[in-house]
Amino acid sequence: MGAANQDDSQYLSARERLSLLLDSESFVEYGVLAGATSKTEDESVADGLVAGAGEISGCPVVAASYDRAISNGTQSDRNQRKLGRLIYLANRHRWPLVLFVDGDGARQGDHKPPPPIVIAPRGRWDVYDGLAELSGWAPTVAILTGRALDGNAGIAMLSDFVVATRESTFGSNSTSGTVSRSVDDFAKTGNIDLLVEDERAAILAAQKYLSYYQIATTEGRAAATYDDIASIVPDNRRRPYDMRKIVNAFADDNSVLELGATWGRSMLTMFARLKGRSVGIFANQPRSPLAGAIDSDAADKAARFIELCDAYEFPLISFVDNPGFMVGPQAEREGMARHHARPLAALHHRTVPLCSVQIRKAYGLGPFAMSGWGSGRSVPELRLAWPTVESGGMSLEGAAYLVKRKEILAAENKVKALEIRDEYAEKMRDQTSGLKAGRNFMFDDIVYPTETRDRISAILERIPRDLGHTKKHPIDPH
Amino acid sequence: MDKLIEALKAVRETRTDSSRTEVVTRVHLTGRMTARERMAALLDEDSAVEYGIIAGKTQEGDWVAETGGADFVGTINGQVVIASSTDYTDQGGGYGAGRLARLFSLAHEHRWPLVIFVDGGGSRARHPRAGKGHLEFGGPIGRFTIIDGNAELSGWVPTIAIVSGPSFAGHASLAAFSDFLIATKGSSIGLGGPPMVEAALGVRVSAVELAGVDMQEETGGIDLLVEDDVAAIAAARDYLAYYEDLESGEPAANSVQIDSIVPVEGIYDMYPVIEAIVDAHSMFELRPAFAKSLITLLARIDGRTIGVLANQPLVDEGAIDNDAATKISRFVEICDAYEYPILSLIDTPGCVATWETKGEDSIVEPGITRWHTRPIIAHQNRTVPLFCVLAGRGGGLGPSLMTGFSSGRGVPALCLAWPTVEVGQDDGFSAMQYSKAIDDVVAPSETREKISRVLRHFKRDLSRVEKKHPIDSW
Repeated sequence: MGAANQDDSQYLSARERLSLLLDSESFVEYGVLAGATSKTEDESVADGLVAGAGEISGCPVVAASYDRAISNGTQSDRNQRKLGRLIYLANRHRWPLVLFVDGDGARQGDHKPPPPIVIAPRGRWDVYDGLAELSGWAPTVAILTGRALDGNAGIAMLSDFVVATRESTFGSNSTSGTVSRSVDDFAKTGNIDLLVEDERAAILAAQKYLSYYQIATTEGRAAATYDDIASIVPDNRRRPYDMRKIVNAFADDNSVLELGATWGRSMLTMFARLKGRSVGIFANQPRSPLAGAIDSDAADKAARFIELCDAYEFPLISFVDNPGFMVGPQAEREGMARHHARPLAALHHRTVPLCSVQIRKAYGLGPFAMSGWGSGRSVPELRLAWPTVESGGMSLEGAAYLVKRKEILAAENKVKALEIRDEYAEKMRDQTSGLKAGRNFMFDDIVYPTETRDRISAILERIPRDLGHTKKHPIDPH
Repeated sequence: MDKLIEALKAVRETRTDSSRTEVVTRVHLTGRMTARERMAALLDEDSAVEYGIIAGKTQEGDWVAETGGADFVGTINGQVVIASSTDYTDQGGGYGAGRLARLFSLAHEHRWPLVIFVDGGGSRARHPRAGKGHLEFGGPIGRFTIIDGNAELSGWVPTIAIVSGPSFAGHASLAAFSDFLIATKGSSIGLGGPPMVEAALGVRVSAVELAGVDMQEETGGIDLLVEDDVAAIAAARDYLAYYEDLESGEPAANSVQIDSIVPVEGIYDMYPVIEAIVDAHSMFELRPAFAKSLITLLARIDGRTIGVLANQPLVDEGAIDNDAATKISRFVEICDAYEYPILSLIDTPGCVATWETKGEDSIVEPGITRWHTRPIIAHQNRTVPLFCVLAGRGGGLGPSLMTGFSSGRGVPALCLAWPTVEVGQDDGFSAMQYSKAIDDVVAPSETREKISRVLRHFKRDLSRVEKKHPIDSW
């Protein structure tokens, strides 16, 4: 009945969504007879939340969808209890949870209005504490295709991974009417992870996201572009390149899923596979407005991703080409001094293996955020560099500027000033780069770019995934 | 032997302030204290043991790791601490990584709190190990190098950083990793100093224009802004005092007036309300100028240290915005790590989201972001007891951000409501219907005693062998 009532045919009904998401014939529904009231004539099917256990690619999940056709997908005492029931199962058995969150928040006039404060428990876990408990224990996915207000939005904000269709909105029922804001704004500020065209794409993305967790190893082959991976890095060391190309060439063919593409854009975070093994890749993006410098957003993005990978035991691989942390009045106002510590702390406390590949720049404190300190609790399992590597306390151009400052400021024009700087930078380059770094044992090895896959996978193969019996830590939502 | 002792004495002399009166005068002219003066003022009399006092130049005059500061083991109020100050008159305060790393290892092993003055501009340019930085393998002199040492101590022992002067790069990093960051007026804290900014962006700015502490105070970059070194030292000693409980404590003078402080309707100031519940003169506020709709402070009840988390109805009616949410989660982490029970005073319409707009004032509107769910996660993982008081409104998810959930891991130890409570359509008395959620409706004047009677049953336990979790720098 819920399906029949869905007025706009371009949208899927709650049951259609779940049947597309789950393996056929795998759904076991919970609470189908539950109504908004206990009266026999009550026709609110499943009380507006279709919920149950099922499988994706043969692996168990729990899944639910609010039903827009029943009281606008609002949250009632009864349907929240159903959801709490699923969350219990997810916590108990470490099953991932997928929720379609489209709905209008608390139901007005519910038979039992939600008590406004810390609620008497409706099961071992209620919804928000249950989701908080799942954080870092089993993956939680929120799919938004429509509008999520208040409590429905809260569920999404507590989920590890949020995928939304582009025209969706988040919002709130306030005393002055309904406030809503585009998912684009949420994506740009790191509050959701992926935007897609339509519901079907959202469901495919959710399945792909979960596949990395559920299927730790599979068949995997190199991408066609791997043999030419070295050519992606321009000969001119000052020209940017697209780090996405490097990651796509390095990872197994067609295995990359990027998270948070539209925020903290100088930092890339991606799930991928290496010879079939699920891995988390984070990388500086030279082709970004900040040229790969890490600002507060990029630092937050990396920190959250490291926690995510550590919790679900995805080995971390970092590709480093980093001129440092962002400097300047604006960066400081955004809290650079505080935020820069977050990826450093996350790397320090991780136990999942980390392999880093230094491609070009490694200046100042920034690279610590990509590969840790090399001391303390944990050191990287493998630290590789390509022959193009160059490193130092600050960028060669920056150092050259400070050394030659007087001459540069006295230069007759800007072009001349840059020439003086760059000439000196080039002189210093030899001392910091390539072979010398290897001779100094700054890295475990300087490798041909086309050796990178084999080297890393040879080490990772010897460190099998161990999901453990207790949760390490939650994933910081932001 | 005598000759050797004389020689040692002579070398030691060179490290004291009396051997460099000119430098000392210069420091005093800036209104600041020298590294050794700071340490003398910070530590209890006759408690200081300096480590690496004569480490300095090699015979060839080359700098080695152990200059640029003074490092001690001593006591504060009888409590053992590691204390250190960079010396910015000595090679720009480039930290003596080796000596300090050694003390970090001691702090870690023996669970000693840490107090460090960190003014300076990062690693020393002429440091023999400079430029290698992270690329150096297996190089720590102690168990840790200094910055990862600070990351390790986070959540294990209280760590206090004092910034008095410009603090950039590695120095700012040390500051940022600390639980409690005090700054003196006119100081600055940033990741890239003025020369770095000029080199990278071609902009010439002063340290204060770039990252002054007035700005940092408002944006949450520091925890407390004070007048000068003397006030900073007093604040550090006060903060550390909360790490230990007192035997007993008396209520404040205004405790008898609390019933008339809380109005039946309308806006009121939460500070006197808190003051009327906790021990007299026991309030120590953290981040007072940041996200002012939410108050975080350390206080005591019956001498026992607690963390107080309170909405401030005077500011935005106590609405919880992105920054206020962050302020809650970090504070809950601090209280949980050091086993300070939490008292949560709730009067909030709920969550509002902040949206930055280019070139204009940011937009604040009702809504929930990931920032708002951080306190929920923090409460879910705390094991320290929480007491809550529903003083007025408890709108939307607000109370959950203030307390967690009654079905979560950390169920409130006691949940009280005042007759002024206004939750949904319910007043305090009908809210009592949910008896599992609200344990009692009490007069404000009964609150202190009720909490005290339950609190005394929770013994503070710091005996664990590993830290629970680090404290997020943001």
